[in-house]
Amino acid sequence: MRAYAAFCNKEFMESVRTYKLFIMGAVFLLLGMMSPLLARFTPAILEAVAGEMPEMVIIIPEPSAYDSWLQFFSNIGQMGLLALVIVFSGLTAGEIGKGTVINMLTKGLSRGTVIFSKLSAAAAIWTVCYLLSILAAFAYTAYFWGAHETHHVFLSFFSMWLYGILLIAFVIFGGILTASIYGSMLLTGGVVVVMMLINILPGARPYNPITLSGENALLLTAQRTVSDFAPALIVCAALILLLTAGSVAVFNKKQL
Amino acid sequence: METLMEMLPIILPLFIIQLILMVTALVHVLRHPNYRFGSRGIWMVVVIVLQIIGPVLYFAIGRGEED
Repeated sequence: MRAYAAFCNKEFMESVRTYKLFIMGAVFLLLGMMSPLLARFTPAILEAVAGEMPEMVIIIPEPSAYDSWLQFFSNIGQMGLLALVIVFSGLTAGEIGKGTVINMLTKGLSRGTVIFSKLSAAAAIWTVCYLLSILAAFAYTAYFWGAHETHHVFLSFFSMWLYGILLIAFVIFGGILTASIYGSMLLTGGVVVVMMLINILPGARPYNPITLSGENALLLTAQRTVSDFAPALIVCAALILLLTAGSVAVFNKKQL
Repeated sequence: METLMEMLPIILPLFIIQLILMVTALVHVLRHPNYRFGSRGIWMVVVIVLQIIGPVLYFAIGRGEED
């Protein structure tokens, strides 16, 4: 347990010194602030453009708080998760590739502890930055539209969070497997593409973890119910456990 | 565009954070001449032109080892 705490501490120090924490914080704060603004001003910008071309008639509905959350989830789900994967791509790959982890392993640190601390440190950073973006988005949305009706608030945000953890687990697994930053990114990117392809099959959709990052806004407006999300949540959680166990198993067998 | 002027105090923080992100990355690019790949010129263009994702890319995969 002491080794775990010490290694977690080392991970946090590292993310501060390699600007990971700063980058994540800035990006997620930006995305949180940007989404309500985009929702609010897109119609005005379109109108200004259309005004220069009188033959074009664009009918734009008045933006609502719903549009703001729609923007939020699409920004976090694409740009935010992309930043998450890029920032953490060197999480395990870097240290195995450079061999700096060997020093600590020979001093008696177990390989499982390395994986668990890396996962928890990355998860903690993702959680804080994600909360930051939610707060920013909430403040701006409340400012523009006042109080608005939302449903399943916790589950909508939690699904995206769990999906982020899944991506971190894939990044760690890829890093252990290939010992390269690009291998780690490629594996995670490949998995996302595969999940997108699986999403074409209507029968597989409720079980596909990618649903957790794509339909949150629908959940927020009660167009989806909790039971629509439950299978994907379970599959996602199972995958995270499986990947973490897999990472430890592969790492234990790996020649460094 | 009058509404845009009214909204300036709300939009301003957005630009400031974006600027901080860009400037931090730019200063780092100029101060550390070693990159994992690419050259100073390439990274300066990436950091300035690609908003948000440029600095992320630089710090995550472009930044060389400290010496």
